Amino acid sequence: MEKKSNTMNNKKRNIILICTAAAVVLILPWILTTDYQIMVMNKVLIYTVVVLGLNFITGLTGQMNLGTAGMFALGAYATAVAATSYGISPWIGLVLAIVMGLLVGRGLGYPSLRLKGVYLALTTIGFSEVVRLVAANWVSVTGGTTGIRNIPYYSLAGYVFDTQTKMYYLFAVFVAFGIFCAYRLADSKWGRIFKSLRDNADAVEMSGVNIASCKILAFTVCAIYGCIAGALYAHFMGYINPSSFTIDLSTNFVIMLMVGGLGSVVGNIFGAAVVTILPEILRVFENYYQLIFCTIVLVGAIFFPEGWMFAGIKVIRKMVKKLRKREHITGEMGGGE
Amino acid sequence: MGSLLKLTDTTKQFQGLRAVDAINLDMKENTIHALIGPNGAGKTTTVNMITGVHSVTSGTIEFDGHDITGMPTYKIARLGIGRTFQNIKVFPTMTLLENVMVGGHQCTKLGALRTIFDIRGAKREEEMLKEKAENILKKLGLYELRNELMQNLPYGRQKISEIGRAMMTDPKLILLDEPAAGLNPSERGELIKVIKAAYGEGLSFFLIEHNMDVIMSISDYITVLSFGKLIAEGTPQEIQNNPEVIASYLGEKYKQKMAEE
Repeated sequence: MEKKSNTMNNKKRNIILICTAAAVVLILPWILTTDYQIMVMNKVLIYTVVVLGLNFITGLTGQMNLGTAGMFALGAYATAVAATSYGISPWIGLVLAIVMGLLVGRGLGYPSLRLKGVYLALTTIGFSEVVRLVAANWVSVTGGTTGIRNIPYYSLAGYVFDTQTKMYYLFAVFVAFGIFCAYRLADSKWGRIFKSLRDNADAVEMSGVNIASCKILAFTVCAIYGCIAGALYAHFMGYINPSSFTIDLSTNFVIMLMVGGLGSVVGNIFGAAVVTILPEILRVFENYYQLIFCTIVLVGAIFFPEGWMFAGIKVIRKMVKKLRKREHITGEMGGGE
Repeated sequence: MGSLLKLTDTTKQFQGLRAVDAINLDMKENTIHALIGPNGAGKTTTVNMITGVHSVTSGTIEFDGHDITGMPTYKIARLGIGRTFQNIKVFPTMTLLENVMVGGHQCTKLGALRTIFDIRGAKREEEMLKEKAENILKKLGLYELRNELMQNLPYGRQKISEIGRAMMTDPKLILLDEPAAGLNPSERGELIKVIKAAYGEGLSFFLIEHNMDVIMSISDYITVLSFGKLIAEGTPQEIQNNPEVIASYLGEKYKQKMAEE
C-alpha cells in the first residue's frame, strides 16, 4: 500500500514539475528583454539536443566521445548545402541530417568496439578534425573557409521562423521531443544495458546480448542527436563556416555533460544551460571572464563530480533534514515544559 | 540420459604453452559436473573455451546437439549456457534488481525505436522482466535486498546474485567458476542450497571449485585436470580414492583426514 501511494506521489510530482518547466519555457521570451538574450536561450536549446545524445555514449555507456563537433558540423553542412545549392526545403534537410547521423554512428561505432579509453577519444577527435578540414578545403561544395551564407530560415506553410522569438518556440518543440525520446530510452531496458556495458561488458555478453550492436546503437543515437542539432544551428545562424566546429566545441559539450551529471537527462538540460549562460553573465569581468569560467568548471569537476545540480540537491536535502531535526527537538522541549 | 556438453580433443595453445591438451569430456543431462585440479591446470581456460571467450586451437565443443566451436559468446549464451565468473563481474553502480534484470534483456523483443514510442508495450515488457527477476531473487533469498546498490552488498551476496543473473536467460546449463571462493562457511551453505534448489528444477551445473566440502556434497560426477591433461574422471567416491588425483591435487593429508572421518 505504502509503495503504491509513493509511486502515485511520484507521478503527481513529475506532472507538476513538467507543467512548471513548460510554463517557464513559454513565458521566458516575455521576461528576457533583448534579442541577444533570446539568442543565448536558442543556443542553450540547440546545445541541449547535442548533450542529450552525448549522454548515451559518454554518460551511460562510458565511452569518451570528443567528436561531437564533427557530428554537429556534418548535420549543419548537410542541410546547408542542400538548402543553398539545390534549394531543398530545410525540413528535408533535417531528414538528410538524420541519415547522416545514422551513417556516422555506424562508422564511428565500429572502431569503438576495438578501442577503449584514450584511444577512442583520440579517434573521435581525429574524426571531428577530418570533417572540419574537408569542410575547409572542399571549396566547390562547402565554400571553403568563407563558409556558406544565406541559409534560409525554417518555414511552415508560409509562416517563416525569422525572428529569435519565433525560432525559440520552434526549437523548444524540438527539444521537448528530444527530451521525450532521450528520457524514454535512458529509462528503459536499453538505458540499463548501456549502463551495464559501462560497468562490465563481459557479464553483459554472457547474458546473450550482442554488445557490439548495443555500442553501435549508443553511438548512432549520439550521432543522430548531434546531426539534428547541427541542422537546427545552420538554419538558426544563417551562416556557417568551418571555424565554428573546432575541438573547443566538442570539449564544451563534454563540460556540459559533466556539469549536469553523467547519465541524467534532466542534468543534460541543466548542464547545457549553465555552460552556455554562465560565460555570458561573467562578461562583466571583461578580459578575465574565460579565466573565471574555467576556474569555476575546474573546481566543480574536483568537488562535485556527480554534477552541480545533484550536489546542490544533496546539500538542500541535508539542510532540510537538519532543520526538521531541530524543530523536532525544540518542539519536544516545548512539550516538556 | 543424453549428453548435454561434449568436448572432443579440445585443445588450447597459448604460444608456447599448451593450457588445455586434447581433453575429452562428456557431461550428461541433469547432472552437476565438477572440474577440479591444481592451479594452472587449465580449468578456467576450459570454461572460457566453452563460452567462446577464448578460441579453440583444435577439437570441437558440442552443446545440446549444436556444434558451438568458434561461436561468438552471445550466441552461445542464447543457446542456453549461463555463466558466473571467478572474480565477480557485476554492475556496482546499479541496484541488485537491475543487475538481475540485465540478464533478461535478451528475452525481450522491442527494439530501441519501439521502446521509445510503444509506451504500453515497453511498460508490459519492463513489468515482465521485473516480475521474473523478483521471482528469481525470492528463490535466492535476496528479495529483501533488491533495491540496494550492488556495491553496498557483501561479497557473498554479489556472488550469488550472479547466479540469478545467469538464470534470467532461462539456461539449460550454468557454468560456475569457483562459486565458493571467498565465501564464509554460512554463505557456502547458502550457495549449496541455492544450487541444489535450481538443480531440482531441472537446471544442470558445470562447476570449477577448490573447496572439497562443496564439491563432494553436490557433484554427481568429477573430472580432474592437471597441467592441461585429463588425469581422472568418476564419481566423488572414485575420485577421492584415486591415487593419481591424491598425488597431484588432493594430497596425502586429505586421504588421512577422510580415513579419520
